[in-house]
Amino acid sequence: MNILGISAHYHDSAAALLIDGLPIAAVQEERISRRKNDSAFPIGAIEWCLGHAGLEPDALDAIVFYERPMLKFDRVLTGLLGSFPHSRRAFAHAMKNLLGEKLWMRGIISSELGVRGSKVLFTEHHQAHAAAAFLTAPTDKAAILTADGVGEWATLTVGQGERRTGGPTTITLRREIRFPHSLGMLYSTFTAYLGFAVNEGEYKVMGLAAYGQPNMVDKVWRTIRRTPDGAFALDLDYFEFHSTTARSYSKRFVDLFGPSRRPSDPINFDTAEGRRFADIAASVQRVLEDILVDMARVLHEETRLPDLCLGGGVALNGVANARILRESGFERLFVPPAPGDAGCALGAALYADRVSFGNPDRDFPDHPFWGPSIDESDLVRLAGEDGLAAELSDDRRLIEMTADDIAAGHIVGWMDGALELGPRALGHRSILAAPHSTAIRDRLNRDIKYREEFRPFAPVVPIEEADRFFELPPGGDRLARFMSGVFPVRQEWRAQLAGITHVDGTARLQALPREMAPRLHALLGAYGRRSGIPVLLNTSFNLSGEPIVNGVVEGYSTFRRSGIDILIAGQNRLAKRRARSDAGEEQAA
Amino acid sequence: MLEPLYRWIWHHPGRRARKLFSFAAVEADGGRDLVRAAELTRDPLLRRLYLAHASDECRHAGLFHDRGVELLRDNPAANKGSVFQAEWLAPGERGLDDLRVEREGDGALLAFLHLSEKAAARSFALYRNALPDDPATRSVFEKVLRDEEFHMKYTRAQLSRIEPERQRVLIWRARLGRLWKGYLRLAMALAGAISGVILTLLYFIVLPPFALLAKRAMRREPQGWTAIPIVQGGAPGKRSQP
Repeated sequence: MNILGISAHYHDSAAALLIDGLPIAAVQEERISRRKNDSAFPIGAIEWCLGHAGLEPDALDAIVFYERPMLKFDRVLTGLLGSFPHSRRAFAHAMKNLLGEKLWMRGIISSELGVRGSKVLFTEHHQAHAAAAFLTAPTDKAAILTADGVGEWATLTVGQGERRTGGPTTITLRREIRFPHSLGMLYSTFTAYLGFAVNEGEYKVMGLAAYGQPNMVDKVWRTIRRTPDGAFALDLDYFEFHSTTARSYSKRFVDLFGPSRRPSDPINFDTAEGRRFADIAASVQRVLEDILVDMARVLHEETRLPDLCLGGGVALNGVANARILRESGFERLFVPPAPGDAGCALGAALYADRVSFGNPDRDFPDHPFWGPSIDESDLVRLAGEDGLAAELSDDRRLIEMTADDIAAGHIVGWMDGALELGPRALGHRSILAAPHSTAIRDRLNRDIKYREEFRPFAPVVPIEEADRFFELPPGGDRLARFMSGVFPVRQEWRAQLAGITHVDGTARLQALPREMAPRLHALLGAYGRRSGIPVLLNTSFNLSGEPIVNGVVEGYSTFRRSGIDILIAGQNRLAKRRARSDAGEEQAA
Repeated sequence: MLEPLYRWIWHHPGRRARKLFSFAAVEADGGRDLVRAAELTRDPLLRRLYLAHASDECRHAGLFHDRGVELLRDNPAANKGSVFQAEWLAPGERGLDDLRVEREGDGALLAFLHLSEKAAARSFALYRNALPDDPATRSVFEKVLRDEEFHMKYTRAQLSRIEPERQRVLIWRARLGRLWKGYLRLAMALAGAISGVILTLLYFIVLPPFALLAKRAMRREPQGWTAIPIVQGGAPGKRSQP
């Protein structure tokens, strides 16, 4: 069967293609359209997926959308009516938005792809999250927990999944917490209050939290309380996301926590105001962790299963994930590389294939590389046109040279094979540097990433060496496979790993198995032979405000516009020197 | 003739700061579109020029943003309350104005950029003149204007180079395209306003009884866990089926 999964229209739209139960292609629309967090109908991603497989839309047996538009409409309308008459502006906005396009997905998909409407199917949003988490994990039976801002009505679900290779699959979500009570919305509200963009700045809140003390936990607990049955409920007097589009927190929220931060204001930890914001971030982070850990613990007691699959945007919180692994009783925690909405494209297709159509289970390849591959000849052409010479080397020599470059303090743009699905660079579209000093971190922030100083950079380490440098609990190496957990850097290595050690002594590491990205693994080995430390700083290959690079043309333009010293695309290496002076270009113009 | 209007618009420091922030966002967006254009063109000289242009836009974004921050820092009271933004009366550069770079040839893009830079330069010159008492913001506009002048020149020169025969046609087509986009903006704004009025009337006239029902239903909605119905052997319930 050929099944296409689609997620769209909220944030991070994507498409994924399954053929006979196995993934063939999956990519986020932003990587194709080059608009960060592109939420538009992912026509570019769909075209690429179909083109990659050599299929015409007619050949698809089903197209599965990742949520039920009517249920979502029901939730939005009920919520707006429930906050009558304060929701008058939000009502007009939401109706224009939903009635304009989002409600008619069957027709839109059918007309965009030219397929019969009967081929268009729908899963529930959290079923797609659950499938993306469980059916991509190497486990036969696991508890499942999904948490995000909101899908249709559900904001958090728990259940379990069971499958047998070649046999049937069941995914049973037992209970849910419904909108407006949402951990994702709680965290996003604090994200907005702290002056960061919602659906983008949540990472920043997590990074900021390490600079603060959780001394406002009591205040956060006034905005959310545990219910007697072990769930939670928001005190809606502190929130406005359910009734307005103007802002997500209320005046009472501001009375409780003080004035919000303007997005344009820098965060200065030397000021009382800067420390207050950090303390608020630390407090909401602590509350989020406590709730998730407690829910996971209860789920473990109920299921008595060793494995937990975690899905939904909240699963991107690596600090919380690490605590769940340590404290909930589960032995292994699986978080897919794209636990957010982009991964729902894959989840929706998998759910339809295994559960709805009852097709036999197939083992899912345990890597995130489902996007377009690089065309190395592009680098040769582009460099040649700019008077530069790309150098073609055999693998071994290239890796030794790159290790030398990094050891010499150079920053390397690294492109290899197919693009990752998900928000993290996991070894195929990375910027790599030596991890030893804060100077390189500052240089990356200043000359390449153009981002806040308080945000940490992540390390990548061969999985077999991870425990030497990082304090990993049992199962930690698995969680670190896709950079989904934050763990302490061992005390004795912190000084030598200052570039990737966060202020609280932790790092969001990637523990890399050789089979997942052999060339990067080899590079880590080569670098280790030079420095004694086979660890590299690994950050996504993009500039501020841009999606991760896709093809060589984007990698090359990023290389040209930033302080990256060396660009590697496959077996080609390009070193920077100024091609022509700007004055020369102006003259030429 | 519009100078008194612009003076009024730019007089309020809070509005001035927010307009500068919005200009910064548009410049940054325009820069990203130009990067995309550089990535797509097969002409090496254009690629370098687009990248240089993108870098200018990025710098402009920084200049506008930093000046906005300074204004708010020096006038803390200016950030309080909502201020009429006068977006329509004093627009900034429109970037590539939703032009899909990947669908355009270099000629069409250059013609569009040329006109766009020209219009932006005209507007920025007017805004600069409306700020006699704010030399720092004037200086930002002056710096940006110098670059806009270069952008106007290079886009025109490159258009002549790559489309010597069709340059006038392309300029006219771009001019009509800008007019069409202006009309679309106006039509969308009008349609938005009309639909907003209709939906608001609907909200207050038709929805109140349903609002009562919804409020009652929400009160009855239990907080905490909600069980998800399970049917036969752990398979998902009816609502779970695609």
